[in-house]
Amino acid sequence: MARSGGATGAGARGPQAEERAGSGGLFRRIVIGVPFLWLVLLFLVPFLIVFKISLSQVAVAMPPYIPTFGDPSTWWSALQQFSLDNYAWIAGDQLYLDAYILSLVIAATSTLLTLLIAYPLAYGMAKAPSAWRTTLLMLVILPFWTSFLIRVYAWIAILKPEGLFNQLLLFLGLIDQPLVILNTPVAIFIGIVYSYLPFMTLPIYASLERMDHSLIEAAADLGSPPLKAFWKITFPLSLPGVVAGCFLVFIPAAGEFVIPDLLGGSRTLMIGKTVWLEFFTNRDWPVASAVAVVLVAILVVPIAILQRQQEREG
Amino acid sequence: MKSLGSIRRDFAPWLDQAATPFIRFEGVTKRFGNFDAVDDLSLSIFEGEFFALLGASGCGKSTLLRMLAGFEAPTEGRIVLDGEDLAGIPPYRRPVNMMFQSYALFPHMSVEKNIAFGLKQEGMARGEIAERVDQVLKLVKLETYARRRPDQLSGGQRQRVALARSLAKRPKVLLLDEPLGALDKKLREETQFELSDLQYQLKTTFIMVTHDQEEAMTMADRIAVMDKGRIVQVATPAEVYEAPNSRFVADFVGNVNIFEGVVRSVEGERVTIETTAGFDVVATSEVPVAAGQSVSYVLRPEKLRIAAEPVPGPNVVEGEVWDIAYFGPVTSFHIRLNNGAIVKVAMVNATRQGPLQLTWHDRAYVQFDEDAGLVLAE
Repeated sequence: MARSGGATGAGARGPQAEERAGSGGLFRRIVIGVPFLWLVLLFLVPFLIVFKISLSQVAVAMPPYIPTFGDPSTWWSALQQFSLDNYAWIAGDQLYLDAYILSLVIAATSTLLTLLIAYPLAYGMAKAPSAWRTTLLMLVILPFWTSFLIRVYAWIAILKPEGLFNQLLLFLGLIDQPLVILNTPVAIFIGIVYSYLPFMTLPIYASLERMDHSLIEAAADLGSPPLKAFWKITFPLSLPGVVAGCFLVFIPAAGEFVIPDLLGGSRTLMIGKTVWLEFFTNRDWPVASAVAVVLVAILVVPIAILQRQQEREG
Repeated sequence: MKSLGSIRRDFAPWLDQAATPFIRFEGVTKRFGNFDAVDDLSLSIFEGEFFALLGASGCGKSTLLRMLAGFEAPTEGRIVLDGEDLAGIPPYRRPVNMMFQSYALFPHMSVEKNIAFGLKQEGMARGEIAERVDQVLKLVKLETYARRRPDQLSGGQRQRVALARSLAKRPKVLLLDEPLGALDKKLREETQFELSDLQYQLKTTFIMVTHDQEEAMTMADRIAVMDKGRIVQVATPAEVYEAPNSRFVADFVGNVNIFEGVVRSVEGERVTIETTAGFDVVATSEVPVAAGQSVSYVLRPEKLRIAAEPVPGPNVVEGEVWDIAYFGPVTSFHIRLNNGAIVKVAMVNATRQGPLQLTWHDRAYVQFDEDAGLVLAE
């Protein structure tokens, strides 16, 4: 909460102020309650359903698993059929472990690459004359006006052996043979970095833009050359933006399905693709759910750690 | 002109023709587009001086300070510090430090890290840094706050940290940009004295930018009053107040009555001025004037006396009490003359009953001595 300023803050705490806070309480509950309800209905409930399926067994039925909860009298026996077999199965098969590791490695690498591109971009935007900033911001957001899927397809056209990129390189005489980029991890990185760049750029820009310029002048005044002032002052103060951007890229990238499927070819098996295969090809909903639950667990843990750390600092 | 004292009686290097200035601005101009923020300005400041640049916002005083710090480069002219031309020297190599108006404390560093920042850039040894940090923290009386972060300090404490940080490197010149601007009135008054004491103790040259004349008067050895990128007057606080060199300075610094008039007769230093306010002034003029010349007569409100009964002699003006403002230590009267002109009078409330039992619309008689005001020939 913002600190109230001196005398005015203290003066507002009269009986009338309390009355206002009382009627404001209901309003505040609604304001907080609506998004809370939204999260419960559209995130927590579906997650619990997935979690429940992950404890079930495959069955040739509709839906393709048992137990199901129909008649309340059978609930107790249904509950007894729950087991952790699917988790044991995942743990026992190297394929899943490899997919998790590959997903995390690809997500981490592409997060780093995105950061390396987004930071200078955000820095340039924040230092640009204020009249330009709105335009630059618009340019960053502009790609969202086209469908994500269409943009990924466009990359196929660019990266394929006879695509625009290879044609350009051939035309310039830089290569004799077309480069194989499509259906390799490089294409996945290009796709992820391209797609998630705005999610990294915007929070970094926000943290840089609100930074007091006199801090940099103070650093210079105290004997710090520009590059050193950047590392000692600008960068540490932009860290909240960097961390937010990294999470916004890393988390969806780890579970990314469309980009690896369209650009990465069949040989790179990331976890999103694994879930898809289990659901639609193997029709093994319980294992697919277990894979998804484990992924959520892997991603939630670092967020929780970070949040606790931030609370301790604040 | 008779010399009006500086506060430190033994310190007046500006009167010594042989003294070498520590800082010289030589024909400095700073142009932003078509706008001359600083216009062909020359100024000398001496070592150990507490110098104030006083002016309204946009008069170029901050630009002047920023040019000395190295954040702006002069468009024309040069700045010399201790014999060294500063042109082309970046801010991080200049032997000056600045205390910023916003304080510009690094929010992610503790108080001691903030202060140590500049020393680390110098490559000072760790033990020596710790010693110096302790020393300046003691100087600003914040020893116990070393490990706090800036957001855990009050405004007054932050101001002290900013001061400590800018002093830690022992700069040749300390630049203060509105140093007390963000403090409340009570704290500002206390800090004024502390800052003066500190400067006296350290003997460092201080240059302060302020729009607050009281701040400049209480702390500075000399004040440069600025207007539109130029210096109008450079003088001690008492000279600026009692002997302003122009109507602008008289009007800008303190409260003042300015009467326009024409000199009617001159007898040596004694002149008689017929004012447009409808009365004659007999005054001693420090500048030579001739009969028929247009002059301004500048009179500070506290140099006037007010009475309820007619008083004999010259320099008595009769009018009606138009407004009374009670300030506590002084009461300010606005006396409206028959032709509508207003004369401001300030009376010290030396007794608890107040000076007079005058109230609105009473007749009042205002009197002043021949040497109470200043004749300005323009």
